[in-house]
Amino acid sequence: MYTGCRCSFKKNRWMVTHMQQMIEATELTKNYGTVTAVNRISLSVAEGELFGLLGPNGSGKTTMIRMLTGQIPPTAGSARVMGIDPAKDPVEVRRSIGIIPEQETPPSFLTAEEYLHFVAKIRNLDAIDERCGRWFDLLEFGDKRDVLCKDLSRGTRQKLMFAQAFLHEPRLALIDEPLINLDPIMQRTVKDFLRGYVRDGGTVFLSTHILEIAEEICDRIGVIHNGRLLHSGPVEDLTATGRHLESFFLDLVRGDTGA
Amino acid sequence: MHSTIFGSVGFALFPVVVAILALLGSLTLPVFADVLPYDAVALLAHALFLLMGVMVGSFGLMGREFMNRRFGQASLIAYASRSLPISEQRIFATFLVKDTVYYILLYVLPFAAGFAAATPFIGIDPVQGLVALVSLALAFLLGLSAVCFLSTLYAHSVALFAGTVAVLAVAALAAFRLGAITVSTILPPYAFFLNPALEPLALSLALILVPAIISVIFVTVEYPDRTKRFENHLDPLSGRLHALGSAHFIAKDALDLLRSEGGAGKVIFSFLIPLGLVWICLRIMIRFIPGIDPLVVFAVLLGVLSATIYNWLTEFDSFTSYAFLPVEVREVIDAKLKSYALLNLLPAVVLVLAAATSGGAGSLIPAFAAFVSVSVYTLAVTVYLTGLHPNVMLYSAWIFLRYLLAISPALLLLIFASVFDPRYALLSLLLILPAAFLIIRARVKWQAWEMPRY
Ligand SMILES: Nc1ncnc2c1ncn2[C@@H]1O[C@H](COP(=O)(O)OP(=O)(O)O)[C@@H](O)[C@H]1O
Ligand SMILES: [Mg+2]
Repeated sequence: MYTGCRCSFKKNRWMVTHMQQMIEATELTKNYGTVTAVNRISLSVAEGELFGLLGPNGSGKTTMIRMLTGQIPPTAGSARVMGIDPAKDPVEVRRSIGIIPEQETPPSFLTAEEYLHFVAKIRNLDAIDERCGRWFDLLEFGDKRDVLCKDLSRGTRQKLMFAQAFLHEPRLALIDEPLINLDPIMQRTVKDFLRGYVRDGGTVFLSTHILEIAEEICDRIGVIHNGRLLHSGPVEDLTATGRHLESFFLDLVRGDTGA
Repeated sequence: MHSTIFGSVGFALFPVVVAILALLGSLTLPVFADVLPYDAVALLAHALFLLMGVMVGSFGLMGREFMNRRFGQASLIAYASRSLPISEQRIFATFLVKDTVYYILLYVLPFAAGFAAATPFIGIDPVQGLVALVSLALAFLLGLSAVCFLSTLYAHSVALFAGTVAVLAVAALAAFRLGAITVSTILPPYAFFLNPALEPLALSLALILVPAIISVIFVTVEYPDRTKRFENHLDPLSGRLHALGSAHFIAKDALDLLRSEGGAGKVIFSFLIPLGLVWICLRIMIRFIPGIDPLVVFAVLLGVLSATIYNWLTEFDSFTSYAFLPVEVREVIDAKLKSYALLNLLPAVVLVLAAATSGGAGSLIPAFAAFVSVSVYTLAVTVYLTGLHPNVMLYSAWIFLRYLLAISPALLLLIFASVFDPRYALLSLLLILPAAFLIIRARVKWQAWEMPRY
C-alpha cells in the first residue's frame, strides 16, 4: 500500500551521518509532585530504526515522548534528539522532527485542508497543495478536506494529525499511540507507511500499549512499566526464543515490584 | 468551575476582593460628594450591574462554545437533550437560574456587603445595604433577561430583532426628548434603591420575568450542522494579510471568530449592545456632572470594552495545539496583537459615529487619542496578567485585583483631567509607554509559562 512517495529522506542523502543516534536519552526522569512518571530512563534509537515503547496505560509513555519533543522539561537527566537538546531548544527540535501527540486535536474551526496548509505555513514549506494532496490520497480522506476539524470523526482527525506530522518529510517522527481510532484497513495502511518510511531511511519512535503492533512493525522495543524501562532490545530476540511477546511482557510487568 | 486552573483559593477569594473594593469605594464617597452626588454613584453602580447582566447574557445564547465554557460538562446534557426526555426549555431555564445564583453570589452579594459595611462611616442608613443587595441583583437580572429576550429574537429572525431594537431605541429617544420618562422609569431597580417601595419592585420583577419567560418558551438551540463544507479561506486571507507577518495566525483568528457559533451575532451582543448602553448611561450621567465631556468619557470606556476583543481572540485557541509544532509563544501573542489591532477598527468607527451624531466632533481628536491609548494599555495589562487565557484567569482574585489596580487609577485620572479640559485627554498617549513595556515583558513571561525549561 505504501507508494514510495517522492520523499526526500532517502537513505543516500545522509550516508555521511548514517547510523548516528537519532535519539539519546540519559537517565531521563519526570516527577509530578510525588508521582514519578518517568524514572531514570536511558535509551537510544539509531537512524533507520522503528522503535516501540511498549507499556500499559499510565506507565509513562506519553511523558517520555513529551520530554523528548521539548513539550515538558525533565526533572533530571538529559536527552538529545537529532543532536539537539529538547530542553534547551524545543522549537528547533520540533522544526526538525514530526510529532503526533496523544490527545491533541486539530483546531475546531479550520477545515482539514486549511489545517494542513496552516501547518505547512508554520513550517515554511513550498508546494503546499502538492504535499497536502499526497496525504489526502494516501490516507484516503480527500473527501473530507473541506469539513471543519470539529466535525471530523476521530479516525479522520487521527489521519489529519498523521499528515500534519509528515508534511515536511522529517527524518524522525515521534508518535504517541499511532493506530488509535483507526479502522483495520487504515491501520494496515499506516503500518505499511511506517515500514516504508523506515526502509527509506526515516526513523520512528512510537508508543503503544498494544502488543501486536510492537511485534508486527517494530525493529526494537522498550518495555516500560511504572516509569521504569524494564527491558529493551530487538524484537527478534524475543520471538526467536519461541516465546510469545505477550507472555514475555506479562512476566516483565508482573515481576516488576516497583522497587 | 474556574477554580482548577489557578487553585481554589484564588477563586474563593474573588468575592472577597469585590467586597473590599466596594467597601473602599464606598468609604471615599464623602470625599467626592461635591463633584459626584450619591445618587449619581448609585445610578452608576446600577448601570454597571445592568451592563454586567447584558455581558453575561450576551455570551449566553449564541452557541455551544459558550455553554461549554460556562457549564463545562453540563453542555453535554444540553446537547443530549434530543435523546433524553428533558426539554430544551427546561435545560435553558435551569441554566438561567444557575447563572443568576452564580453571579449574584460572586459579584452582587459581596458588592452589597462591602457597601453595607461602609454605611456606618459615611452617614447612610445600614438598611440601604440590604436594599442595595436587592436592587443591584434586580439591575443585573434586568440586563440578563433583556439580552436573553433579544438574542432569542435574533435566533428566530434577524429582521425581527433589528426591528425590535430600532423601535425600542426610537421610543426611548423620543420619550427622553419629550421629557416623558425619567431615569428611574427606565431603570426601576434604581428607583427601588432610591425608594424601596412595592411599585418599583413590582415593575422591576415584571420587566425581568416577562422577557425571561418569553425567551425560555421560544428558545432555540442551534445545533451545529456537521455536514457543512467550507472552501479554503485560509490561503486567500493570509495572502491578503501577508504584509503583516504571521498572516496565517491572523487568518486563523478571523476564521475562528466568523465560523464559531453565533458569528456576527456575537459581535452585536457582546459589543455593540453594551456600547449602546454605555452611551445611554453617559447621556444620563452628564445631567448629574456638568462639565464632563461625554465623548471623551465614552472613548475611555470604549477603550476598556475594546480590550475584551482580546478575549474573543483567545477563546478558541490554546497553545497546546501548537506545542508540538515549531512555534514560539511570543509568535502567537504577536499575531493576536495584530488581529486585535485589525478588529479595533470596529470600535474606532463606533467612536467616529458617536462623535458625528452627538455633535461632539469638537473633542474627537483628544477622544480618539484616549480611546487608542486606553485600548492599548488595557490590552497590555490583560496580556501581561493572563497571557493567552484571559477568559479563565481574570477570575483569579489576585489577577483580577492587579488588573483593576493597574487600570482604574489611570482611567479615573484621565476622566478627571478631561473634566477641566477635554484636550487633557491627549495626555493619555503617555499610557503607550507602560503598555509597550508590559507587552515586551508579557512575551517573555508567557513564553516561560507555556514552555517551561529547566
Ligand atoms: N500533567 C500531569 N500531572 C500529574 N501527573 C501526571 C501528568 N501527566 C501524567 N501524569 C502521571 O504520570 C504517569 C504516566 O502517565 P503517562 O505518561 O500519560 O502514561 P502513558 O502514556 O503510558 O499512559 C501516570 O501515573 C499519570 O497519572
Ligand atoms: Mg499515553
